[in-house]
Amino acid sequence: MRPFSFQKPGSVEEAVAVVEPMGVAGQGGAFHAGGTTVIDLMKLHVLQPPSLTDLGGVLERGIEEGEDGTLRVGAGTTMAEAAEHPAFLRAPVLSEALWKAASAQLRNVATLGGNLLQRTRCPYFRDNVSACNKREPGSGCAAKDGINRLLAVLGTSESCIANYPGDWANALILFDAVLETRSGGGGREIAFGDLHVPPGEDPARETILGDDELITAIRLSVPEWASRSVYTKVRDRDSYAFALTSAAVALDLDGDTVREARLAIGGAATVPWRAREVEDWLAGRELTEDVAVEAGRRAFAGARGWGENDFKIPLGRDTVARGLMEAKAMTPRNSGDSQ
Amino acid sequence: MTGRIGAAVSRIDARKKVMGEARYAADFAVPNPLYAHLVTSTIGRGAITGIDESEARTVPGLREIFSHANPLGLEPDGMFSTGGHAQQGWEPFAGPDVRFYGETVAMVVADDILAAREAAKRLRVAYSAEAPAAVFGAEGLEPEELPDMALSSGDLDAAMEAAAERVEVEYDTAANTHNAMELFATTAVWSGKDLTLYVPSQWVEGFRAGVASELGIAPERVRIVSPYVGGGFGGKGSLYTFTPMVAAAARRLNRPVKLYVTREQGFTTASYRAETQQSVRLGARADGRFTGFEHKGRELSSRPDTYVVNGADKTARMYHADAVRTGVTCVHADRQTPGFMRAPAETPYYFALESAVDELARRLEMDPVELRRRNDIDAEPVNGVPYTSRSLMECYDMAGEAFGWRDYDPAVGSMRDGDWLVGWGCATAAYPTQMAPCAVRVHFDRTGRARVMVASHDLGTGAYTVIAQAAAEGLGLEVDRVEVELGDSRLPPGTIAGGSISTASNVSVIQIACERIMQRLGTTPERIDVAAVFDAFGQGAIEEYAEWAPRGSRPNARGGLYGAEVGIVGGPEEEYTAFAFGAEYAEVRINRWTREIRVPRLYGAFAAGRIMNEKTATSQYLGGMIWGLGHALQEKTEIDPRTGAVMNDNISEYIVPVNADVMDVRAMMVPEEDTLVNPAGIKGIGEIGIVGTAAAIANAVHHATGIRVRHVPIRVEDLIGTG
Amino acid sequence: MATDPRSAPPDLGISRRSLLKGTAASGASAFGAFQAGAQEAEAVPAGGPEVEVEITINGRPERFTLDARTTLLDLLRERLDLTGTKVGCNHGQCGACTVLVDGTRINSCLRLAATLDGAEVTTIEGLAEAGEMHPMQQAFIDNDGFQCGYCTPGQIMSAVGCVTEGHAGSEAEIREYMSGNLCRCGAYKGIVAAVVQARDETEARGAS
Repeated sequence: MRPFSFQKPGSVEEAVAVVEPMGVAGQGGAFHAGGTTVIDLMKLHVLQPPSLTDLGGVLERGIEEGEDGTLRVGAGTTMAEAAEHPAFLRAPVLSEALWKAASAQLRNVATLGGNLLQRTRCPYFRDNVSACNKREPGSGCAAKDGINRLLAVLGTSESCIANYPGDWANALILFDAVLETRSGGGGREIAFGDLHVPPGEDPARETILGDDELITAIRLSVPEWASRSVYTKVRDRDSYAFALTSAAVALDLDGDTVREARLAIGGAATVPWRAREVEDWLAGRELTEDVAVEAGRRAFAGARGWGENDFKIPLGRDTVARGLMEAKAMTPRNSGDSQ
Repeated sequence: MTGRIGAAVSRIDARKKVMGEARYAADFAVPNPLYAHLVTSTIGRGAITGIDESEARTVPGLREIFSHANPLGLEPDGMFSTGGHAQQGWEPFAGPDVRFYGETVAMVVADDILAAREAAKRLRVAYSAEAPAAVFGAEGLEPEELPDMALSSGDLDAAMEAAAERVEVEYDTAANTHNAMELFATTAVWSGKDLTLYVPSQWVEGFRAGVASELGIAPERVRIVSPYVGGGFGGKGSLYTFTPMVAAAARRLNRPVKLYVTREQGFTTASYRAETQQSVRLGARADGRFTGFEHKGRELSSRPDTYVVNGADKTARMYHADAVRTGVTCVHADRQTPGFMRAPAETPYYFALESAVDELARRLEMDPVELRRRNDIDAEPVNGVPYTSRSLMECYDMAGEAFGWRDYDPAVGSMRDGDWLVGWGCATAAYPTQMAPCAVRVHFDRTGRARVMVASHDLGTGAYTVIAQAAAEGLGLEVDRVEVELGDSRLPPGTIAGGSISTASNVSVIQIACERIMQRLGTTPERIDVAAVFDAFGQGAIEEYAEWAPRGSRPNARGGLYGAEVGIVGGPEEEYTAFAFGAEYAEVRINRWTREIRVPRLYGAFAAGRIMNEKTATSQYLGGMIWGLGHALQEKTEIDPRTGAVMNDNISEYIVPVNADVMDVRAMMVPEEDTLVNPAGIKGIGEIGIVGTAAAIANAVHHATGIRVRHVPIRVEDLIGTG
Repeated sequence: MATDPRSAPPDLGISRRSLLKGTAASGASAFGAFQAGAQEAEAVPAGGPEVEVEITINGRPERFTLDARTTLLDLLRERLDLTGTKVGCNHGQCGACTVLVDGTRINSCLRLAATLDGAEVTTIEGLAEAGEMHPMQQAFIDNDGFQCGYCTPGQIMSAVGCVTEGHAGSEAEIREYMSGNLCRCGAYKGIVAAVVQARDETEARGAS
């Protein structure tokens, strides 16, 4: 780990003010909340921030329930706390995407704000040696022809096929979330769907956040019918593994007919990936197994495999179909009597 | 009396372990240590052209940088299989050559751990790189056939011709990395000319000899301390290059030096289980009786070293066959030299054998257990040498009864449960019973306390406990009156903790020592009155030093004890064939959509002679079976063919079983008395649990899906459509 | 959380220099030596800036002056000789380094000691009371919840956390919520049995 100066601001305002000043070419200071990504990558020297600004105690923590299913979630809320919050349990996809991620120890410290910004597990990004446009812009992408079994088939470019590894973002994106941020220039709101940027020509740029911009809260609106929702996560072992593919599904059903469907795909895409076209296609249809399979096909219509990860295309299709059928089979809990 | 042989006593070292008091190699506090950190190559083949130390030298506290440009003066001790004690046959700092990706190219030493890590990261090594041939299929591999290791009996071609049904198929197994939870580490402390090394070791005797030879000093100047080992699995059985490096650096810098090898570096600077490609031909008459069996393997190794596990030497002994032929080829590649890993030979080769038997059962439309029953034997088929004991079918019967195999419907897909495809499979587990010469000192005093001293090792195997039980039995004591000292090269020479040999060897020699003590005291364990016999003896304490060499050892094998000879015998020998046997049954559930494979039930029954401790033995079996689960479905060291780099060199993407993966796993014990195998009647149990598991699971996957996967690990992509 | 340092959007219009000036006077209570001009001469400070923290470890408050890079794991093992906490990966992937911080189980390898000012840390050495084993420790012995013992301190600390978090309701739940602790020996069955055995007594005691 490169030496850094450690800053302990007393407030969000101070944090965004002090995060940057040691900035030197290509490496600004970093925020530190739970630290589960940033310390990991600093140990690998993938990140070498000259300063670390600790957000312990300054980030808003907790979930407030407003009217009509609106929730305001402090960015400092830990994954563990959120996974068990009644509001999240009422829309199981929000809870399931949390407790199926990482380990209990990591969830006890990782914050929701940080979790949204989790960095890719692409081995060529992490090894600090290989060509990687994300880590070293212009150096190329060793993953395209390499060991890419875990990497993306959706949203890739010739510059980068690194997948977004997180889970919860794929659930959050279903609920038209808005991020509240602070930076030295003041505050703003960002539609969560706009936060992540597919790699395109510039994979180093992963989000639209400024260097000194901090997510402070997340607002989302959870319809009551989202009690019929699942996070279907396919992985190499039954726990503590990144998704090969995943599907976040929420369904509003009238009998077997879809009033509204919401669908996002994880593990297989470069960014949290909402499949709006498939949602539109599903609306009004009777959700049969054939329809679920077709929905999966459509969700991966634009997918491109890179060799080892070709299987993620059929697997992703089947993950979507399974998620839809599992959501359909649910007996949604009555939102009124959840504990 | 409690705690004697066979009793399910808790580990005598358990309290230290649960209290955090057990000191593993990196836990020993030494005065004022320097910290070392390795730097490993980032090319897969070529040479170092320059090392730019300037940036590393800006790190405050940096003491020294060792590399081929500033070597440590070490002489290669020689690879294990050529009579040395090291895992590989060359010294990394002997020259600028790079033989594989991740090879140690430098070691920095600094005042503290942060500075050492930082300086290592800042060292700039320049290379001239060539394209490596690191995996099967690459151009530039060098196959070396090893005809001396091949077996042949009968006319194989005629036997295959005579078969009513035959299977002729290829099986592949992936590279695996031990990933014991304990990181590799070494701490070196010199006191004048005497060196103490704290290093996780399955062979303190061998490490002492190897380090002494590499440093050019007398072995008696070296002490290896390794009282607790955080998992071995074969990965700590031979000497790695970093240990003598740390010793030499400590000598050069005149300070204790402590090294942690990172998890990533452990994938390349230590050993691993190499990939295999195997071909199997197995034929049977209509009644199921095997006519011919041919098993050939190709195994990857490094360029300089010839290392193979040659599992066909074992698979050839399992069943009846009119004719047998085996062969093995070492395929030299730009890789680290592989090494022992839990059931090194059996794990990959029994996957092939036991899958092939299942495939043949399908062709014969015969129950796979019945097929094995029809080929059960009393003597191995190559030379006709009889087994000391063989309870294979008893294992099938016991585990099959518990599993409910009588309800097995062989039709593929017949057990579907809603969205889950369910399948059952079974396979034979076997492991050669091996032993080696060893010595022991037993101290016994008038207060009724005994101390057993042997340079053996407890890797979690329960060695401390079963040794105490053996001494308690031999001296007529409660087990809590026995103290055991292990893992120190100052103790009487013990065996390497490999090949599941420790318990059989240790107990055999402890029996001798205890018998002699009883004779000298003029009593027996059954009627000993401790105070009275010592009063009559005229001394307050007695000590006995004993040696033992197993049947089949070379003449004067006991002398080899004092030269760090391995001396392992057993398995298929000239006069006897000694194996432990088991049978494993697996149930798999595969989601019909997404095809993840889960194993809700895995049952094994094992017969391994006398069981010293039911509690620790059960854990050993279960641990082996869970390793088998990982081998079958998860574990794969992923090599980038372009560079030879391990791309999942961490314990997140190198998938091993987690708690959630382990559901109803059971280990049962078939009673077995074997008076021929060794005086203690003990067969090893540490490795057998993993053998056959992968085949049982693969066979169950076939039963569930109709898809025959002939490689491991079997993963989602093997079962998912590509359309 | 790490924002990508390279992702500065042009539209925000914040320059690093202006921030530098703006914050030099802000009086942020930086622990680290704040050397505004240092980066001109040398990109990275050569040694690690130091921080001061007070941490209560196993009931004993202590002040430390530390290189800011020091993880809790390194502090425990390399400075305090509390080697019961094990190092298995250094990247939060194995759970061997699990300790309780303010009663919550965490991976000490990913936790900078600098962030723990005022915290209470319990390690395996602090779990027993007056030499008497915690019921979870006894339960691991009774159920042979380990073989080599290396992951065991982390397993036990994690098990205590698992119970106090309320995730030891069923064997399936225990398996899931103990999956952050790898055991290469495969002692999982005994571990689950141990958590079941010690659950009620552990609950009664509360964390640590």
